[in-house]
Amino acid sequence: MSARWLTGKVAAAILTLVFVVIFNFFLFRVMGDPTTQLARLPQSTPDEIEKLKADYGLDKPLLGQFADNVGDTVRGDLGISQKSRQPVVDEILDALPWTLLLVGTGTLIATLLGSWMGVIAATRRGQKTDDAMLGFSMFTYASPEYWIGIILILVFAVWIPILPSGLQVTPGVEFSSWLAEAADVAEHLILPATAMTLMLLGQYFLIMRSSMVDVLTEDFITVKRATGQRWDRVVRKHAVPNALLPLVTLSAIQFGAVVGGAITIETIFSWPGLGELTFQAINDKDFPVLQGTFLIFSFGVILANLLADILYFYLDPRVQTK
Amino acid sequence: MIKWKSLGTLAGLVLAALALMFGTTSMAQAADEGGGDDILKIGWAQDPQTLNPFVGLDEEDFTIWAINWDLLVNFDPVDLSPSPGIAESWEVSDDKKTITFKLPEGHKWSDGEPVTSEDVKWTLENLATEGELFTSYTNNVTSIETPDPQTVVIKTKKPDARIIGGLLIYILPEHIWGKVPKDELTTTYQPSLPLVGTGPFIVTEFDRGRIIEMDRNPEFAGDKPKLDQIQFIKYGNQDAVERALQLGEIDVDPEVSAATFDNLADKPDIGVVKSPSPSFTELAFNVCPESECPDAEFNPAIQDKAVRQAIAYSVDREKINEIANRGTSFVANGLLPSYYQDFYQEPEQTYPFDPEKANQILDDAGYTREGDGIRSKDGDELSFNLYVRSESPSNIQAAKLVAEMAREVGIEFKVEVVSVDKLTELTIRQENGKPAPAFDSFIWGWGGDAYDPSFLLSLMTTGEIGGSSDAFYSNPEYDKLFEEQAGSFDTEERKDTIRQMIDLLQEDVPYLVLSEDPNLQAYRTDRLGEVDVACPEGDGDLFCEQAGYEPLLSLTTTGGSDGSSDDDGGGGSGVLIAIIAVVVIAGVAFLVIRSRRRGGEALEEDEPAEGEEPMEEPEEPEEPAEDEK
Repeated sequence: MSARWLTGKVAAAILTLVFVVIFNFFLFRVMGDPTTQLARLPQSTPDEIEKLKADYGLDKPLLGQFADNVGDTVRGDLGISQKSRQPVVDEILDALPWTLLLVGTGTLIATLLGSWMGVIAATRRGQKTDDAMLGFSMFTYASPEYWIGIILILVFAVWIPILPSGLQVTPGVEFSSWLAEAADVAEHLILPATAMTLMLLGQYFLIMRSSMVDVLTEDFITVKRATGQRWDRVVRKHAVPNALLPLVTLSAIQFGAVVGGAITIETIFSWPGLGELTFQAINDKDFPVLQGTFLIFSFGVILANLLADILYFYLDPRVQTK
Repeated sequence: MIKWKSLGTLAGLVLAALALMFGTTSMAQAADEGGGDDILKIGWAQDPQTLNPFVGLDEEDFTIWAINWDLLVNFDPVDLSPSPGIAESWEVSDDKKTITFKLPEGHKWSDGEPVTSEDVKWTLENLATEGELFTSYTNNVTSIETPDPQTVVIKTKKPDARIIGGLLIYILPEHIWGKVPKDELTTTYQPSLPLVGTGPFIVTEFDRGRIIEMDRNPEFAGDKPKLDQIQFIKYGNQDAVERALQLGEIDVDPEVSAATFDNLADKPDIGVVKSPSPSFTELAFNVCPESECPDAEFNPAIQDKAVRQAIAYSVDREKINEIANRGTSFVANGLLPSYYQDFYQEPEQTYPFDPEKANQILDDAGYTREGDGIRSKDGDELSFNLYVRSESPSNIQAAKLVAEMAREVGIEFKVEVVSVDKLTELTIRQENGKPAPAFDSFIWGWGGDAYDPSFLLSLMTTGEIGGSSDAFYSNPEYDKLFEEQAGSFDTEERKDTIRQMIDLLQEDVPYLVLSEDPNLQAYRTDRLGEVDVACPEGDGDLFCEQAGYEPLLSLTTTGGSDGSSDDDGGGGSGVLIAIIAVVVIAGVAFLVIRSRRRGGEALEEDEPAEGEEPMEEPEEPEEPAEDEK
């Protein structure tokens, strides 16, 4: 991989990130003075409001606040939550693993299952299997994730009560070992991860299927077949790698949507990740926390795009030759 | 051969699914039994963000504090009147400006340290001045003396009944909180656990956003509580809490939403409680006098008393309750909610729904209907803006109803839905150092203290203009009566003074209080039996939420005790085995499918029907297998 190419990509990513930091800061400042809501507290005096403003550095001019903010962000200090009075970084680090677990599991299964189904459907185009998969994917793709979530809860927690309806672990239980706890978490993960998977599956499937259909009609496939190679080998060695490219792009672009979906799914399933943290912060108008989660989400999307670029480098030899 | 293998795969997957189901069920049982302890599980969608009362701002914080700590004087669960708390008795001097509190001997904090007058003094001098929700209660206090560890003498500049019945300040252990630097107390300080207190249960675990566990306080002075533990479990939203209650995952939902209250009431094994609370929703008018707010912006017609009275007659409060609040609220009559049993009296003037009367008043006042049906006088049209918060669908609905009803008598309200911040800005707006509210009317609400009505009554005093007052009402007679009631230790006498105050407000109508907002709770009757509500008795809630802890002492979960004392881990390992089994079986299935592919690849293309089976099945079972990661 050429160093220059990589440097360019990384620089672009960093530039985007800088823009995000700036935008993020001013976005929350145009939304109004965060202390006005505190004024409604019973018996709060103007002095107290001034004190609150000083506590959060809101008494400084906007540019001064911005300079502070950038400095702190670079140092990894995202400020103090207005609600819990704890460092925002701690709040995020507390929630991040749960989101990674949920989003990771959901995305992984959706990618694997979606692309696998895509290959199968494409090789059996027009047959019953294809129709069934297409119908199923269209259905899940068109269904809003909160609806899927509620239906899953209704079926597997209310009608056939075999799975917990929410939370990440059975509350208040002392586990005899970490294994028992992991099992409990896994059990709680099933429904939200399924919802996540169903939310993403349709798109991955459709992209993979159409991409495969395209590739399979290309001349080199016909040539390969004509050389007498086994069909499944042609599909696996020649068609799938070529069809994977759009999927990689999609995964990266999708990351933003995944995060958005995580907010809904985590809230429905009371899953204590970044999504729920964001939802609560919106309810509480906890601007430092919101600013922090927005930053993390943007960072995630930028990172995902960068990784996709690098992955492209390996997957698509055409990129390397340029 | 191929057929056999695919059959085997199918069998494997079915087995895996069964194992998973079995494992899951045994896990659920283990969780229910919880080692045989008597545990009360309370679910909520909002949990406290901090246990530090110096910075806490939420209602939920009070729920925990009120169980963990005592007030200097507690509320009686029967009628909410003053009853022994940290102090066992008190005496008011003849001039009513000195109150002497006696603390019982041998009372201990949960860590074994004695409770002394120093704790009281430190708390009143610090929490009451620095705590964001606790200031102003001690505004009249001039000195706090502690002649001995069992005595606290509080002196006030004028008689103040709140020192006994309304000092809503949780007494903290000075030997812990007193050691923390003040600027840390008011910012990032998080008390260490267990949270040392005097209440029947103390916080032993605080996992923010997930769970709060309160265990029995070994040093609690009263009767030993039957419960071993109380858990407050955080859910993602109110729907999830209500679902958890229906599924029996929790025992109590302390904040049921009005929309689902009736529905929950019909469910088996669920009991519901609707109790009055000290909060209300009001239609407020901008009545700020010129002298107080020279730059206020409003339609001057709103300051005509006749117009406000006509509005009051034109609004059908019963109907608003019925439609906007789904019949769950109580129709309000005046500023003071009927919740204040000791002080409430139904006012003489209640403004029953009477559009005829409203029309009459407006006709008499000289407002005549124009072509569009809206009345006006000397060019002043009876057309007002009516602001309402976007976050409250029921308030928005109420606003629309008000507008519809007032339109019938020729008054126009233009409903404007705005954010809380925007509405706050309009009400606290200042010009040249003076309040300059910019609205004609709005709908919002207030919540008062548990027993003492002074806070709600203070909203209409001239002194609160620029403070909490948001109708900007000013009436010297009212102010005088307010001081009088605040200094009255005689309940009957005070009740009479308050009646006169309410009569003044009913005449002037700075607020048209639309409804008294209820506390809606639901609980599992199969776990808790029929619960007798308290605070006040017969008309209160399940556990004196935010006003005490008395009912928690006798509450018990019947289901919790007769379960076997199964180890929690047992069920867990069952699930684990099930999950490992699923992984293994899924793995085997995968290999089988793969090898079959390899072997039968020649057939694959020509016999697509073959491929259908393994393809559709793995969809469900494969997910739990992957979940292991």
